[in-house]
Amino acid sequence: MSAETSEPVIQVNNLSKVYRDFWGRKKVRAVNSLTLDVKKGEVFGLLGPNGSGKTTTIKMLLGLLFPTEGEIKILGQNASDVRKNERIGYLPEESYLYRFLNADETLDFYGRLFNLPAKVRKQRTDELLSLVKVEHARRRQLKEYSKGMTRRIGLAQALINDPDLILLDEPTSGLDPLGNRDMKDLILKLKGMGKTILMCSHLLADVQDVCDRIAILYGGELKVLGRVDELLKQKGATQITAPTLTPEAIAEVEAVLKKHGVNQVQVDNPRSDLEDLFLRTVQESREHPGRRIAP
Amino acid sequence: MSFDPVAFSLWPAVLVWLQVVGVSLALALVVGFGGAVASHGFRGFGVAFGEIVAGFRDLFSLSLGRIYALAKLTFLEAIRRKALLVFVVFAILFMFAGWFITDTGQKAALQVKVHVIFVTWTLSTLSLVVVMLLACWGIPEDIRVRSIHTVVTKPARRLEIVLGRILGFSGIATVVLAVMASVGYVWLNRQVPPESQSELTCRRPIYGAISFLDRTGDPAKFGINVGDTWMFRSYIEGSSKARAIWNFPGVSASSLDADENLQLESRFQAFRSHKGTMDRQLLYRFEFVNPEKELRVPYKLMEVAEFIGSTETVPRKIRPDGGVKEYDLINDLVDSKGNLQVEVSCVDPGQYLGMARPDLFIRTPDAPFLAGYFKSVVGIWLMLLLVVILGVSASTFVKGPVATLLTFCIVVIGQVFRELLDKVAKGTQEGGGLFESIYRLIAHMNPTTPVPDGLATQVMKTVDRGLENLLWVFRQILPDFSYFNMAPYIANGFDVPFDAAVLPSIVVVMAYFIPCVIIAYYSLRLRELEAK
Repeated sequence: MSAETSEPVIQVNNLSKVYRDFWGRKKVRAVNSLTLDVKKGEVFGLLGPNGSGKTTTIKMLLGLLFPTEGEIKILGQNASDVRKNERIGYLPEESYLYRFLNADETLDFYGRLFNLPAKVRKQRTDELLSLVKVEHARRRQLKEYSKGMTRRIGLAQALINDPDLILLDEPTSGLDPLGNRDMKDLILKLKGMGKTILMCSHLLADVQDVCDRIAILYGGELKVLGRVDELLKQKGATQITAPTLTPEAIAEVEAVLKKHGVNQVQVDNPRSDLEDLFLRTVQESREHPGRRIAP
Repeated sequence: MSFDPVAFSLWPAVLVWLQVVGVSLALALVVGFGGAVASHGFRGFGVAFGEIVAGFRDLFSLSLGRIYALAKLTFLEAIRRKALLVFVVFAILFMFAGWFITDTGQKAALQVKVHVIFVTWTLSTLSLVVVMLLACWGIPEDIRVRSIHTVVTKPARRLEIVLGRILGFSGIATVVLAVMASVGYVWLNRQVPPESQSELTCRRPIYGAISFLDRTGDPAKFGINVGDTWMFRSYIEGSSKARAIWNFPGVSASSLDADENLQLESRFQAFRSHKGTMDRQLLYRFEFVNPEKELRVPYKLMEVAEFIGSTETVPRKIRPDGGVKEYDLINDLVDSKGNLQVEVSCVDPGQYLGMARPDLFIRTPDAPFLAGYFKSVVGIWLMLLLVVILGVSASTFVKGPVATLLTFCIVVIGQVFRELLDKVAKGTQEGGGLFESIYRLIAHMNPTTPVPDGLATQVMKTVDRGLENLLWVFRQILPDFSYFNMAPYIANGFDVPFDAAVLPSIVVVMAYFIPCVIIAYYSLRLRELEAK
């Protein structure tokens, strides 16, 4: 069953959130009449600049904030119903973990909240620490962790219950490019396992890499909603990619295009992005220590 | 000893508790439904009802595993945040306290009293401060740093969070107190001078009911007041028909010591209206009475041992005034219901003997000091549990500093100002209520001078009565911390009575546990867990 046709895991209908001050006076309308669905098995991205209402929306989905208006159904239950949390994993914007615990204790604690048996907790802890690559620091208290490591252990706690729905708030924030790549690979791996993922971010490249559908919020309002590949398709241009051509071949191609009335032709070597360059550099440095990498 | 252990009446207390909780619950429902309707319109009825149903659902789906996990987290948090540094303060106090409080020149009983009071005061104060701070800051700090977000987005119910926190902080309180109490016990045994060690004991008294006869032999509610402002003791006149009559319940052969003697301990006070005989103390006499058999058996004359008390060893076989007839204390003088009646009379004419209910008791075989000490520590532990319950509950709706202040005020009022609050709430405090007192201050009137009549006075008194009623309500919901202070018992060499001290302490903790947990649960449930 494709994501388009499958049942919605999250249904948000006309959702609004108004923050008020101590006297009940309206301070700001953080989310305004938001309506959207997230389908089973898709990776859905919530995009927007700072203050656009992404985190507020996620917190309302989780029942941490109460909507001023509108309805939320998440896995068929109300957002305020704690039973829905049995099937949810949540990675907060900052990894708000208990910094006095070590990695083992952290995962054991969250596993206990799901009433996982001791054997399962131990097994899941080992698996997840391996998955997020912090096995070597499992006995260290989280206060000694770097931001990236804390982020990884935050992700591990979100997956402790093998959730059906995973909500990731700025999942790549604080990660180095390697960690960033790992996180995106992991998101795709989870998608491959049939999980539904809702992530919010303002790092557009990350979203573009992993999301099936996106919604762009601005000022608390939904501005764009659709499939990433559809939304990014440039309908007024055609791109042809070929192995490196000789100058003569390029001239011939330009002549053919001119014959068909195309006068504005841009011919150049395609560029990879900085992330690719960085990852290649690190990879080659690992394989050949001490050697300078040719650009 | 100037305290009077009175057995706690459990069922009347339960009845009052049901009334107070019932009325509070009804008020909470009215406010809850009213608030829901005000914010949601008629749909509010459904919203409010849904919250009540959710509360029951959460109650019946409690998970001991999750509560344990949260309790363990709380315990680890306290330990890793250096809460146990309190032991350093404790150690410093105990290392040097001996220099200042040990005085071998004092009476043995007083030396023991000073040492015991120091230890129990240190235990309760240090542990109270630590536990109060931990309990009041746990949840607000969790909300401030948002670590609670990773908990409430798991299947953890708000009720489990509250219970887990309470359990965890109670665990810390238990560990802190157990360690300090053990050290305190060893310290006491080593620090009290050897010649005073005999006073480290645990008397187990059987108290009786007291009644009086006046100088003409007629029943009276009290004896004579010889001019004390606080009339703890009543006085009986010497060489008259005035008597103080004690009725001791539950007396049997097991009340006797190993040598078949009955130990009667008394702490009477003398009031002399003339010099009298200077080479001896006032004389008094016991008379054992069995009304069923119409037996009256006088016992020998004795001298009052003022301020130190005396223990009279009454043999099981009594032969009054060297006569031939011998009476068996248990078989002849204890009535069929197990009551022993003892009449006390003062012999010296024109002199007075003062006594209160606890001034005469049957001293059954003593228990080891450790038994009383342990109960006293249990009293402190119960107080800490109550502080944890109050602190955690307060911390669910206010921030840490405010929760600490609120809990501190409840403890101080419940411990120190409860008597004053009682008087003001009942309108028996000299000088009137709030506005009358302010008026007296401004007008430089002393508290006993009547305020001039007039319309303003009427208004003032009416407002004060309203405030007194408010205070009465306030008083009803404030816990009585006096029960938890069991130190006076062991400091005076007595066992801690279960029915007068331990039972009410347990009942007070349980009485506050249920309503506080309900308040804390709904406070957490109905608020957005977002740091602001």
